[in-house]
Amino acid sequence: MTAGIEPTAPLAAVPGGSESGLVIAPMLVVLVAAVGSLLLGRWPRLRIGVSLAGGAAYAAVVAAIDWYVVLAPDAPGVATYQVGDWPAPFGITLVVDGLSAFMLTMVAILGIASLVFSTRVLPEIDRRSYYFPLFHFLALGVTGAFLTGDLFNLFVWFEVMLMASYIFVAYYGGPQHTRAAFWYVALNLLASAVFLLGVGGIYATTGTLNMADLAQRLADPGAYGLDPTPVVGLFALLLSVFAIKSGLVPFQFWIPTAYRAAPPQISALLAGATKKVGIYAIIRLSFTVLADADVPVELAVPGVGTVIAGDSPLAFVGAALFVMAAASILVGGIGAVGRDSIEGVLAYSSIGQVGFIAVPVAIAATTGSAELRHFAVVAALVYALNHTLAKGLLFLAVGAIRSATGTSRLSDLGGLAGRSPPLAIGFFVGSLALVGIPPLSGFFGKFLVFDAAARAESAPLLVLLLVGSLLTIAYTTRTWNRSFWGARTDAVEEASVDVVQVGVVLVLATAIVAVGIGFEPVYEFADAAASAALDGEAYVDAVDPLEPDELETEGGEH
Amino acid sequence: MTAVILAAVVGALFALGTFLLLRRDLIRVVWGLAIISQAANVYLLAMGGLADASADSVPILAGHGEHVPQTADPLVQALVLTAIVIGFGMTAFALVLSYRVYEEHDTLDVSELGDRDR
Repeated sequence: MTAGIEPTAPLAAVPGGSESGLVIAPMLVVLVAAVGSLLLGRWPRLRIGVSLAGGAAYAAVVAAIDWYVVLAPDAPGVATYQVGDWPAPFGITLVVDGLSAFMLTMVAILGIASLVFSTRVLPEIDRRSYYFPLFHFLALGVTGAFLTGDLFNLFVWFEVMLMASYIFVAYYGGPQHTRAAFWYVALNLLASAVFLLGVGGIYATTGTLNMADLAQRLADPGAYGLDPTPVVGLFALLLSVFAIKSGLVPFQFWIPTAYRAAPPQISALLAGATKKVGIYAIIRLSFTVLADADVPVELAVPGVGTVIAGDSPLAFVGAALFVMAAASILVGGIGAVGRDSIEGVLAYSSIGQVGFIAVPVAIAATTGSAELRHFAVVAALVYALNHTLAKGLLFLAVGAIRSATGTSRLSDLGGLAGRSPPLAIGFFVGSLALVGIPPLSGFFGKFLVFDAAARAESAPLLVLLLVGSLLTIAYTTRTWNRSFWGARTDAVEEASVDVVQVGVVLVLATAIVAVGIGFEPVYEFADAAASAALDGEAYVDAVDPLEPDELETEGGEH
Repeated sequence: MTAVILAAVVGALFALGTFLLLRRDLIRVVWGLAIISQAANVYLLAMGGLADASADSVPILAGHGEHVPQTADPLVQALVLTAIVIGFGMTAFALVLSYRVYEEHDTLDVSELGDRDR
């Protein structure tokens, strides 16, 4: 029996094989929701019903994955689905482990909030447009990117996600929206070409695109007869692509225009979900795939000495991430202070906050201590969760403000706190979570990131984080003062606030408080996610790519 | 020799694409993007190797007997096919979008677009 003739049945041999149906379930659910809402264009109410049902089913499936794959006492930790029963690395592999599950959970929470919000902001005519199908296709792309175990499929899912987001950026169709969308499309097409270069180069160098197989081959290049050195440079190409997706400086320039052009509830998703795809890809490839790679890296700068040295590509990744994270925190923070609209502030803030996520990732990449690496990844994940909740809440609040007053310019706002106290409370909670006040989720995010920097014994990093935090306080205070306090403007006086929109904002605020108060289980989940991200061996075992001798002779038997 | 020619072709395509990308006319920018993605496709094909195939890269053939003839790597063909389809769709979308930009701004000149909403 060989792999080529009849597909074998490796599922039985895969640990956690019984969960394999769950792995593909979120993609199926969201695909059905997308196609269903596409077909129901003539019946807007039915379409909205199907969309909401799809969102609820998605959340249920993700919750099932969280429990049965990651959190239950006898959970396997990793589950795989080999498409068409082809064994890895020949088939397409879908994998869910703690890291993917953690990311999916964030997307599910924010996705539902944004979906419910969407049903209230679209005028009747828009409900007949392709808004809801596109919303689900965006979710499909994000879900696929989190689940795929294959580099080229990561590219494909990125494209699915981007295609929907292009249309959302151009959605309002005015001059500045088309302009923002054009540059967003142009930049991402260029990034896609670079992604292909990286993927093609890695395939030529290692002979595989399956991430588990890649990890296995890079850990022991001798057995496969390959020279892994080019992988460092090729991964640098991929890193630049992921940095574009996550908006790290110097690849941040598209963010302010795109976030301002997109509808606010979509900007919430762009900041909370698609940005996290970039972060996820960096963490997954750095720690699951490349951490055990056997490649000496050394870079000396004349006059400075050796700046990068290590025995895996992580040394390079860490150094690059440090520079990008530091620049992001400063550029984002300083940029946010001077904006004249709330969206502008939030978009720049988003650049700064992603720097806070990248700092612990960089610490994890450079440190030699396994314990600190684990801790730093936990810090990054908790911070990412906080950013998703807080930034999602704030963008939705802007959406509520905009549909109530028709503007989000700071100069046209004032006295919102008296006009709608619930909205003000929601916005306040979101702002405090960004700043990092206990007992909100942001406190633990910031605390863990500072703790990681302290454990890395890096004074410059601590100063950087402190400056970034002060900038956060500066721009959140300024935004709050100018839009919620002070004399009421005409726009605010005539505002009519939508109850459901504010309700969604308050639900997210409650979630932020709940995460802060009941932090123990959240920490455990993040801890499991970090263990999964760092345990390349378990990942490889679960995907179970064939060994070299099996490849030569009897492909499918094991 | 083939490798050198391919490398030169890919390099030339990237150079041309980059040149067009930096033009002021939006349509040329779209052309530049199309050419760059085609350059990436040619590169991807070349990365699959024009050398002898083995059982590793062509598992289907390995199943039909001991002998594996010289073949191109089928995986990269599949990858390129996918990339072409995606690139085609994206180029079409970018062209439609540039038409819409023209409708909204009455110009395709990048420098004039930038001045509008300051």
